[in-house]
Amino acid sequence: MFTRRYFLRSSALAVAGFGVAPSWLLRAAAQGDMKRKTLVAIFQRGAADGLNIVVPHFEKRYYDLRPSIAVAAPGKPNGAIDLDGRFALHPSLQQLKPLWDSGQLAIIHAAGSPDPTRSHFDAQDYMESGTPGRSSSDGWLNRALPPAGTGVSPVRAIAVSADLPRTLRGEQPAVALNNLEQFQVRDKDTAGILETMYARTSDASLMAAGKDAFDAVKMIQSLNRTPYTPDKGVQYAGEFGRGLQQIAKLIKADAGVEAAFAEIGGWDHHTNEMPQLTPLLQQFGNSLAAFARDMGDRMADIVLVTMSEFGRTAREDGNGGTDHGHGNVMMVLGGPVRGGKVYGRWPGLEPEQLYEQRDLAVTTDFRDVLGELVRLHLGRKMDQVFPGYAPAEPLGLLQG
Amino acid sequence: MKRLSRTVRAAVLLALAGVCLGTTATRFDQKLSADKQAVHALNRLTFGPRPGEVEQVRRLGVEKWINQQLHPEQIAENPALETKLQPLGTLQLPTWQIVESYPQNPMAAMIRPPAFAALPPQQMRQLMNGTAEERRNTIASLDPDTRRAVLGSAPPPALEGLPNEIREEAEKARKTEQEERQKEMRRLMPPLNELLTPDQMRTARMGTPEEKLALINSFDSEKRRQIIRALGPQAFSDSPSLRREAMAATQPQLLVNNELIENKLYRAIYSNRQLEEVLVDFWMNHFNVFNGKGPDRLFLTSYERDAIRPYIFGHFKDMLLATARHPAMLFYLDNWQSQSPPDNMVTSGPRRPGINENYARELMELHTLGVDGGYTQQDVVAVARAFTGWTIFDQPKYAEFQFNSPFHDRKEKLILGHTLPAGRGEQDGLDVIDILAHHPSTAKFISKKLAQRFVADDPPPSLIDRMVATFTKTDGDLRAVLQTMFASPEFLSEGAWRSKVKSPLEMIVSAMRALNTDVTDAFVLAQRIGDLGQPLYGKLEPTGYPNTGETWTNTSGLLGRINFATALSAGQVSGLKFDISRFNFKDGATVAGLLLGTSASPSTLAAIEKGIQEKGASPSLLISLVLSSPEFQRR
Repeated sequence: MFTRRYFLRSSALAVAGFGVAPSWLLRAAAQGDMKRKTLVAIFQRGAADGLNIVVPHFEKRYYDLRPSIAVAAPGKPNGAIDLDGRFALHPSLQQLKPLWDSGQLAIIHAAGSPDPTRSHFDAQDYMESGTPGRSSSDGWLNRALPPAGTGVSPVRAIAVSADLPRTLRGEQPAVALNNLEQFQVRDKDTAGILETMYARTSDASLMAAGKDAFDAVKMIQSLNRTPYTPDKGVQYAGEFGRGLQQIAKLIKADAGVEAAFAEIGGWDHHTNEMPQLTPLLQQFGNSLAAFARDMGDRMADIVLVTMSEFGRTAREDGNGGTDHGHGNVMMVLGGPVRGGKVYGRWPGLEPEQLYEQRDLAVTTDFRDVLGELVRLHLGRKMDQVFPGYAPAEPLGLLQG
Repeated sequence: MKRLSRTVRAAVLLALAGVCLGTTATRFDQKLSADKQAVHALNRLTFGPRPGEVEQVRRLGVEKWINQQLHPEQIAENPALETKLQPLGTLQLPTWQIVESYPQNPMAAMIRPPAFAALPPQQMRQLMNGTAEERRNTIASLDPDTRRAVLGSAPPPALEGLPNEIREEAEKARKTEQEERQKEMRRLMPPLNELLTPDQMRTARMGTPEEKLALINSFDSEKRRQIIRALGPQAFSDSPSLRREAMAATQPQLLVNNELIENKLYRAIYSNRQLEEVLVDFWMNHFNVFNGKGPDRLFLTSYERDAIRPYIFGHFKDMLLATARHPAMLFYLDNWQSQSPPDNMVTSGPRRPGINENYARELMELHTLGVDGGYTQQDVVAVARAFTGWTIFDQPKYAEFQFNSPFHDRKEKLILGHTLPAGRGEQDGLDVIDILAHHPSTAKFISKKLAQRFVADDPPPSLIDRMVATFTKTDGDLRAVLQTMFASPEFLSEGAWRSKVKSPLEMIVSAMRALNTDVTDAFVLAQRIGDLGQPLYGKLEPTGYPNTGETWTNTSGLLGRINFATALSAGQVSGLKFDISRFNFKDGATVAGLLLGTSASPSTLAAIEKGIQEKGASPSLLISLVLSSPEFQRR
């Protein structure tokens, strides 16, 4: 069992090879076991088709609007997995059903941004900034981190991606690492020499950057030194799963992760949606389930939320696909979650109920979902994360 | 904590005083020594000194050299550059030709269009918009072959409300259609195992570049084309010319984009007209357009060539107008679809066109006045109204500017205190350009940005004021403003010396220049620059990449640079080569001097010395340590 004390001991040893142990590590050890809560944000890039992911099977209109791409009703062959008599999961998400049954998974339907843009990059920008209608230079999850004093973990905020996403950009330092194994100085022999070079330079800002870099590298190196096996034969799927696994590794090592981000693309199904959605949802659902299983008891301190920049048209187009839409599905997963429920007001699919007569309307602002999680799980005030936004009634997504 | 002894306390106070006295304001008054001036000028006006250039600039005289760079037409171009650019065929093409020759989906273009679309217009209209009765009759009127083909490709709305037997027939027909299309695809684009023997496939996948080329060239042109297409660009990552062919066959629009990127890199590395290239980079960033937004990928070639480069030494207002009218900007910031809603517009129902404020806002916030430049939301709306009608002719096919009169809002507009009278057309937009170009905030905003790029992240107000005065006096003559800046005491000062952090582009290109590298495949370098966080032409936000250093000094960025330096000096970066024997020295100081153009700091030299003790003095170790050093990250 990869316990906290084990990590501290082994990393202290590993670190001795380079020089002085990083201050945050020593301080953390001195403070003893500190419960750290983690918020994981998952972005489905490309506008995922919420209506086919969480299917409103009680609506006859759903089947009228999508004669060739509707998901079969529960009970039929390849049928959706019923959740509450009204909504059902796409069959590829079957591994999420136990999480729904155990109350760890909540769904919010018809959620999204009030901004009307149907441009992928504008809408992603607004959602990641947390400021619909305009772009900020920083992201909501970075603003959700309270300012840290000294002694904070170098991997307090991590994104599994090549470039730091807007969601985590901002005043608080955050690290983009694609691969824990590769997050290292390639030439081990020169690592120590370079660390000294940067530690002793008179260039103040590069010295600080160097310190952060080498601290993070050393910490991750000692993690890599210990072979990591996911718990209970858990199996992550695909590139997305691999990304979640990096986050899992760091959380399990008590590395002090408070905010994490991962993304999964490939949702922009203008043509031939069904054959593409099935394997993608398998990867998505199986990886989320694997993460929850892998974290085990730690899920008590973890909340994971999924989002996509907008949904897709209610009606299928002429090519077995769908066009850019509006309202969409968000999922919240974690120990503190009041799961087993579909939140939000369902607006209906009749022509006059659709947004601009074509898309699922938005009845829950995404900032209400994220704001509640930030407030209750990370203990941060909403107006510090979504300045100028007046929240609606709380949804009651989390306990306490 | 122990109490500090009196002497120690005094020393601390003295040190603090030293820090306080050494504030930037004072250091910008300290002139650089003659030795440092040449290095500094090269670091700022070029993408980094090449071997021997520091000496050349010293001999010529810094002032004279700067003046040369300000008049690039007087500088003979590097013949090596011509050779590198020669294979990049799209660079000189007009946009309409690029759009025609490099379509979105070349494979779809090869397959015949669905029969549905080939119906005579009246029948198609009835089938799409008619009642169930009308649609049933239309289908009944078709001959059996056409009926099957149409049913097989009809979209669901056309079949809505029709009897079950027709819907079943359509289902069967759809399956048959799909099979036929797949058969045709196989005929036109056979899979690889039908084109090559297993041995040939092995060569194609894992052979050396020479072996691959020999294999490909052994086939006739049709089969050669099919093989290249089936293998795709990834199979030719080490053969630029074959990769180019594969891209043209499978992802032509990416090819257009790649040629633009390679053009930028080859010019940055090899052009003798360095200041011109630095300025094109600056202004493309200032008037940022993202290559990932739809057809912008195809518009960028012309944008850089026709709307930016010709104006960098001219008047700001001319560049501003050129970008405002260019399809790349019109599309990127959505102005092409901005239109004044008709007065009798129905407010409910499907999305009606309307005024789009995106360009108006960014024009003022990012291109001219700056976010605090003194405009209001009302100004944004009024500017947006002024630019309604500024659109693209028959986008994306012809991709030229067009003023579309019906789109234009002819009502009176009040903008920044100026009244634009009612009843006019294109002139409204032209007037806005004029107002913004001459607004005092613009002179300040542009001067500050230039000073940030060329002098320091936080330029002294005295410098900015002087540049603003020139800008205002000369009606925005950019060459004059640059001359004022380069002649200012703040430019060749200690305050400016080594104060800028290199962007990923600058770091990698300066390494190429310092090593006198022969780059045969710039694509590889472009990927590395993207990995470090600066994908070329790939900045999504209209703000462009920052001119100041904080973004680049993040954890993974620094790690990336160190790892790049290691890989480069170990000969592990493909597509380039340099003569490592030039660095066969036993001490760090000489190698550092060669690569930096000046001496490294004692702490860096001490660390290098330690490296030599531990690992022995090899050229690759010394190069790797110098390129990884804090000094090399600055310019």
